[in-house]
Amino acid sequence: MSDAVTLVLTTRPVHPLVADCVAADRFARLGTGEIAALPVVHGGRPASLGDFFRITGEHSSSVRVEGDLTDIEGIGAGMAGGELLIDGGVGRDVGLAMVGGRIDVRGDAGPNAGGAAPGAARGMTGGELVIRGSAGADAGARMRRGLVVVTADAGPGAGKAMIAGTVVVGGRAAPGAGRFLKRGTIVALGPLDPPLTFRYACTYEPPHVALLLRYLRTTGQMDLTDRQLTGRYERYSGDLAELGKGEILRWVGEGAGAGAGAGA
Amino acid sequence: MNINGVAIEDTFAEAFTMRVARLVITGRTARWAREAAIKLTGFATSVIGCKCEAGIERELASGETPDGRPGVSVLFFTMDKQSLPEQLVGRIGQTVLTCPTTACFDGLRDAPDRLPVGRALRVFGDGFQASKLVGGRRYWRVPVMEGEFLVEETFGMMKGVGGGNFLILADDAEAALAAAEAAVVAITGRSGVILPFPGGVVRSGSKVGSKRYKHMIATTNDAFDPTLRAVTPSALPEGVNSVLEIVLDGTDAAAIEGAMRVGILAACRPGVRAISAGNFGGKLGPHHFYLRRIVE
Repeated sequence: MSDAVTLVLTTRPVHPLVADCVAADRFARLGTGEIAALPVVHGGRPASLGDFFRITGEHSSSVRVEGDLTDIEGIGAGMAGGELLIDGGVGRDVGLAMVGGRIDVRGDAGPNAGGAAPGAARGMTGGELVIRGSAGADAGARMRRGLVVVTADAGPGAGKAMIAGTVVVGGRAAPGAGRFLKRGTIVALGPLDPPLTFRYACTYEPPHVALLLRYLRTTGQMDLTDRQLTGRYERYSGDLAELGKGEILRWVGEGAGAGAGAGA
Repeated sequence: MNINGVAIEDTFAEAFTMRVARLVITGRTARWAREAAIKLTGFATSVIGCKCEAGIERELASGETPDGRPGVSVLFFTMDKQSLPEQLVGRIGQTVLTCPTTACFDGLRDAPDRLPVGRALRVFGDGFQASKLVGGRRYWRVPVMEGEFLVEETFGMMKGVGGGNFLILADDAEAALAAAEAAVVAITGRSGVILPFPGGVVRSGSKVGSKRYKHMIATTNDAFDPTLRAVTPSALPEGVNSVLEIVLDGTDAAAIEGAMRVGILAACRPGVRAISAGNFGGKLGPHHFYLRRIVE
């Protein structure tokens, strides 16, 4: 058993590489050779993970993946536990339908990050996916439970058709965020235009958002200012074309409680 | 043994195993957190009449609370497992949920026994409530007219110790009160201990049962009542004209012992004749705090 399993991309794929075998909880049960032998799909043809990655370490639920992974898809799909650090940008479907654990992407992510498989009713059902950069379309789509954090901009359809859970977008959220939302929360720290099927409720300081953002800052998952932690948010309820129990919380500035900590 | 001329009697305080929960109440300002905590811990002096004992453990700076706001830590004690969640749900629902700006968090996060307090309180939201998982812990958001009340879904429960005590035997009421106040100041803010009585002081120490009234489970401790010295077997030394008691509940015996030590030392001041303690001959409570051993 080693402290961590490290995968370094040594052979850049010519075609999109589906590497949905890469998951921290899976690697906890496998030796180095077994990890290298895991199946991947390269341009529609079967191959092995070891054909593209140099693998060190074994039997650990702490996994680090290095290299330019923008053509690699499905990393962390269905992951149920452990920690997966992706040191750079990554392709589509990262954290697809993940169940638990934490994925930390130190770069941009492609479409459908933390999303659902085609035709599936549910995407993520647990865990945390943090993208320290921008995300493509449909981040967190059809999430049932869990947390997706995009520190920069999110593509169209962030949190689309969420059943529950939370999506935090630090930058601009493209149109379609929250569309068909049943329940769940989209926290927008940057610009976001709620769909027309959302209705404004009020401007307030949601206590759970302060708790969540403080957690993200404390655990080093997101750089946040004190102003954002104590912010006021516009609450939009929706999608009223669906169940309507979801919400978009759009940050509008520092709250009245800012700096009140010393008050008596 | 004596300290500053005050006799430390060769006796012990007898205490009981109780169940304890710790609540962290936060508010926009320390004032509002305190307001909620004061109401929450009101009428919670003794399990004899209040069914629970509670008190403010200490005030918390904004850096010490889950949501980064100023707060108050409260300890809550009952005699059994069943009544602790009942008391918490009823009291939090009426005093913290109702108080502007407050939120309520579990202060015993590692305790394996979990009480579904927030889960019970959530129904005030009448179906509009929502839950959130943050860092693996579930919270309930209950909509209220002001905005939202945030409460943790479960609260930890563990075994604690209730009924630690010492008696201040003084020349007169003024000296007894001054010594009791000094003891309270010394104990206040110590982690893991509360003083559940008004201002931390009890004037009406009790004995088990009654000599006269069958329905009474506790009546005046006549052996320590100066006014009854002539008509009852008295435990009071010559010259003692007033007695006050400090009662302590704690998360464990060590917390009570530490608090008793600083409290007794602070109470040993002019006008105090002796420090004693209440017990039942060691037959009822498993925790025995020997005064002389504690202050050695």
